[in-house]
Amino acid sequence: MVAYFADIWRLRHFWLALVRVDLRKRYRRSIIGLGWSLLHPIAMTAVLCVVFSRLFNLEVRNYAPFLLSGLTFWGFFTAVVMQGCQCFFQGESYIRQHPAPLAIYPLRTTLGAGIHFLLGFLIATVFVWLVHGFGNLPAMLSLLPVLVLIFVFGWSLAVCVGLANVMFQDSQHLLEVALQMLFYMTPIMYKPEMLLTRRYLGWFVHLNPLAAFLELFRTPLLEGRLPSYWAFALAAVATCVVAALAALALKRFEKRMIFYL
Amino acid sequence: MNLIQLESVGLRFKVRRFGRISFKEYLLSGLFRRSKQAVFEVQALENITLTVSEGERLGIIGPNGAGKSSLLKVLAGIYPPTSGRRIVVGHVSALFDITLGFEPDASGWENILYRGYLQGETPRSIREKMQFIAEFSELGDFLNMPVRYYSSGMLVRLAFSIATAIEPEILIVDEVLAAGDMAFQAKARQRMKALMRSARAAVVVSHDLTSLGSFCDQVLWLERGRMRLLGPAAEVTAAYTRQVTQQGTTSQQKAA
Repeated sequence: MVAYFADIWRLRHFWLALVRVDLRKRYRRSIIGLGWSLLHPIAMTAVLCVVFSRLFNLEVRNYAPFLLSGLTFWGFFTAVVMQGCQCFFQGESYIRQHPAPLAIYPLRTTLGAGIHFLLGFLIATVFVWLVHGFGNLPAMLSLLPVLVLIFVFGWSLAVCVGLANVMFQDSQHLLEVALQMLFYMTPIMYKPEMLLTRRYLGWFVHLNPLAAFLELFRTPLLEGRLPSYWAFALAAVATCVVAALAALALKRFEKRMIFYL
Repeated sequence: MNLIQLESVGLRFKVRRFGRISFKEYLLSGLFRRSKQAVFEVQALENITLTVSEGERLGIIGPNGAGKSSLLKVLAGIYPPTSGRRIVVGHVSALFDITLGFEPDASGWENILYRGYLQGETPRSIREKMQFIAEFSELGDFLNMPVRYYSSGMLVRLAFSIATAIEPEILIVDEVLAAGDMAFQAKARQRMKALMRSARAAVVVSHDLTSLGSFCDQVLWLERGRMRLLGPAAEVTAAYTRQVTQQGTTSQQKAA
């Protein structure tokens, strides 16, 4: 285990270079560069704000950062799952040439998605500060462990879906459908309170680790409070479970995956 | 000291007739036995036992499809043996499929960096070698251009220059790579020889029997994944040549 991570660390220059390539490739030929990636959540936020603020009778100055932070997280999650599916195929020519720890390829995906996530998150934060003033410091500091948690969660998830997709190529299509459903069942566009009182849906929101992650960084950011212990516990447990799955899957397939590629 | 040791190593591939299996198929084949897809098993290598010790050079010969490249990939640690044991002591540098694995949108210079990093270089150690790699490749200003626009000959030049800038401990080479134009080929061959001399141990696949004979201590003749003959270079290459010329005449006779 330690040796495995040491190997990953030894190759850090390699995967960091790949992350840089990915970022540059995406924004090659676009003048505004990285800002381009933020256009999507911002445009979505603008449209949904106009529509839903009327529908649900919400105030835009509260709803906009709520929505933007939610969509940014969702963007990270879908990127990790969808691009994670492709990560081993993307790295195939390297895998065929050089025995390196497999986990560096999902890591490349996760870091790329993570950078977009941080940017979107930064914009939401600045927005909140401009409109509502600086929140409280301990609450903001609680975001640091949350970011670590999200990163580990994303990396492990990318390992799992990446391997699944190498084994069964229709995993990607199944996951696409699942993501679509999850998007509506997770409190991204609406407040979790709107569902929590419903009997079954309420339970679902209560136990949904994605909802927990959303709460973990929305509450300190938007309300200046520490999130609930429940959310922390749920997110931590979910991360541990996915990480354990990823470790098991790697242990089983690290060497053999090349036969399926 | 034995740097490489293979003990009755076997390598077996499962090949499906219609590409990869899908989850749907997997479920269905569980429900209805009939819908199972035909799976071939290919025994790429069988019962390979050999050792390469410090300072030794092993050549591998054999017809196409004999398992030469598979054996190299097992040695390099890319394929795990499906049976038997592989023990390799030391850092392996492998030269095969070298034109694969470029980032097409990055420039030649950047690709030198990435490849170097993958081979375990650090930003500091690669910086010293970069000028050297660039000079050897003779690509000049083309190195500033994205690799996407390179001709295949230019790609080979770049790949070869990067791959051979290492100081190998255990060198594994698939010599069947044609390296660029005539001038570069001569240069590449020289470089390769120098590398093989400096390595602590080397394994080479080649069709060039004369150079193998002069360069290797041992030669392994592979046929259909099995060891046909393993022994002193001159002996094995001679036996191989005899067999190939014999086959040639019999097939000519048949044709006539």
